[in-house]
Amino acid sequence: MTNSFFPVDRSSVIHRLGPQALINCLKQMILIRQFETRAEAAYQQGKIGGFFHAYTGQEAIQVAAVQALGPNNWYSTSYRCHSLALLLGATPNELMAELYGRETGNAKGRGGSMHFFTERLLGGFGIVTGQVPIATGAAFTLKYQDNRNELSICFLGDGAVPQGAFHESLNLASLWDLPCIYVIENNKWGMGTPVSKAVCVPRLAEDKAPGYNMKGYTFDGMDFFNCLGGFLHLREEVLTQQRPVLVEVITERFKGHSISDPGLYRSKECLKEIMQADPITRFEQILLQEGVINEQDVKEWEKEARASVVEAMDYAEKSPWPSVLTLEEGVFS
Amino acid sequence: MTGKQTIDIRDAIRQAMDEEMTRDATVFVMGEEVGEYNGAYKVTKGMLDKWGPKRIIDTPISELGFAGLCIGAAMTGLRPIVEFMSFNFSFVAADQLISNAIKMYYMSGGRFKVPIVFRGPNGSAAQVSSQHSHCVEAIYGNLPGWKIVAPSNAYDAKGLMKTAIRDDNPVLFLESELMYGDKMEIPTQEYLIPFGKAQIVTAGKDITLVTHGRMVTICKEVVKELARKGVQAELIDLRTIKPVDIATVAASVKKTGRCVLVEEGHIFAGIAAEVGFQIMTHCFDYLDAPLERVCQMETPMPYSKVLEKETLPNVERVLASVHKTLNTQ
Repeated sequence: MTNSFFPVDRSSVIHRLGPQALINCLKQMILIRQFETRAEAAYQQGKIGGFFHAYTGQEAIQVAAVQALGPNNWYSTSYRCHSLALLLGATPNELMAELYGRETGNAKGRGGSMHFFTERLLGGFGIVTGQVPIATGAAFTLKYQDNRNELSICFLGDGAVPQGAFHESLNLASLWDLPCIYVIENNKWGMGTPVSKAVCVPRLAEDKAPGYNMKGYTFDGMDFFNCLGGFLHLREEVLTQQRPVLVEVITERFKGHSISDPGLYRSKECLKEIMQADPITRFEQILLQEGVINEQDVKEWEKEARASVVEAMDYAEKSPWPSVLTLEEGVFS
Repeated sequence: MTGKQTIDIRDAIRQAMDEEMTRDATVFVMGEEVGEYNGAYKVTKGMLDKWGPKRIIDTPISELGFAGLCIGAAMTGLRPIVEFMSFNFSFVAADQLISNAIKMYYMSGGRFKVPIVFRGPNGSAAQVSSQHSHCVEAIYGNLPGWKIVAPSNAYDAKGLMKTAIRDDNPVLFLESELMYGDKMEIPTQEYLIPFGKAQIVTAGKDITLVTHGRMVTICKEVVKELARKGVQAELIDLRTIKPVDIATVAASVKKTGRCVLVEEGHIFAGIAAEVGFQIMTHCFDYLDAPLERVCQMETPMPYSKVLEKETLPNVERVLASVHKTLNTQ
């Protein structure tokens, strides 16, 4: 059975958000793209080490999710976490400084690319599916505190679906009526293994969810409006019903799994075709058609985003290294 | 007004949890069979009736799920007590314990603390064979971020459990199935025991015995046996394995010049190896004999009671090591 996307009426989304929110969302997508692009360049220059997983190509999903669900929730994600940290209020400066391993970094230079945090972002988790029980626990806390105004939102990749922690978490969340939205960002590849060789059903949410007595949805991750309309619906549903839901968002990873992955498992033609469906270009074109923005605006915002990321790189470069005297501090609270 | 009560270890742990749940509404207990069944070893007996299902939470057989869930709950403002029916089952949840619970505070640059207690029986019981008899303290103790305690009596169990629940870090609280029924007179009024303080169980001048958990019982017999022969052994119960109270141990070894380390777990890279090395560092010039270790031998736990007794440290094996150290036999 093939996926059919959750039905969303684009014009009603445009109407509901209004021009300013739409412009903000586009600017966020542009900033994320610029951040990843520049940080990758810094990595190639040897400024950044370790693993590095870019969110490039998937921007529409988390921008729409945070816009629709609001920042006052618990959020968790995988190691592909730069975007969510930016959206939840971390500055390009502190994130770039973290990538550079500096004292001024988001986690004082102790976390790195895979471990970004904010007041409401529980991480940046480096082990596939490691965040899924954690997000379930955040939803448990909300229920324990009788807080019916907030949600726990867990982003995970398609590669997390075959893991045991996925199964146990969803079972517990459903068993105990926890207000958690599990968002599978299906970028079709778990490192170099296609999802068809990893998961025994074709529809990751709609085929899996019934087994957990949960509702399953599929969104088009390349279409901001489909994601936004979908997440608005989920916010209403989960807050009202106090039941978890499982969502699959079909998307594309424009880069390798990580920066060290040359992506030899997919052809250049294939990648070129995929990149035709760039979610930022698509979003821009619709906003142009609708007269919300003009082409000059986009150029200006790209310039602004680039400038802020370049400034962040400068900030990181000039930031002090952590003092080695602090090495053993902060193991314990 | 100081009252006294005679209770066993399971009652002591329950009292500690009960008192802390009264004190702090964010404390709850979660685990397999902790509620309706009243606990596989009755540690949580009566707690569901008293506190209800919101705070005494039965789980499916899903250690990875509920241990991870509780770590997430700890990160977001609650103080979970997770019961592992046996610490052997913690291995199913190991990724959550190792990659999340003990790393989170450091790798988040101090943003998220994880106040959580994992408790349950550790080590061997009675003929439960290869997969249900592990001692986990050396396995987890190799990793920074844990506080690890192993009480050997009801007084310590209560005082250390209260400290564990109030600690803002992940704590492994290691109990023994064979000791739950051990009774002791303890105060009725509230008390806490700080982490990192070893206990001198019996004072002596001839040799130091260092141990923890259930092996304290074995070593007490050894001390009695030695006393009959005129040897005064000093027995130290570590109580807290991490952080270890090396000051108390070193002071004793400097006095006696001889030491045998006794550990229920395996010999290779064990707690005895670590403490022994620290003794060497601190007491090198005071040692009159090489350190000796009596640990579990390098076999999976056999089922047959004859073999089980032999692979574990026992009075005979400890005595033999003591005599070797004293050069008396």
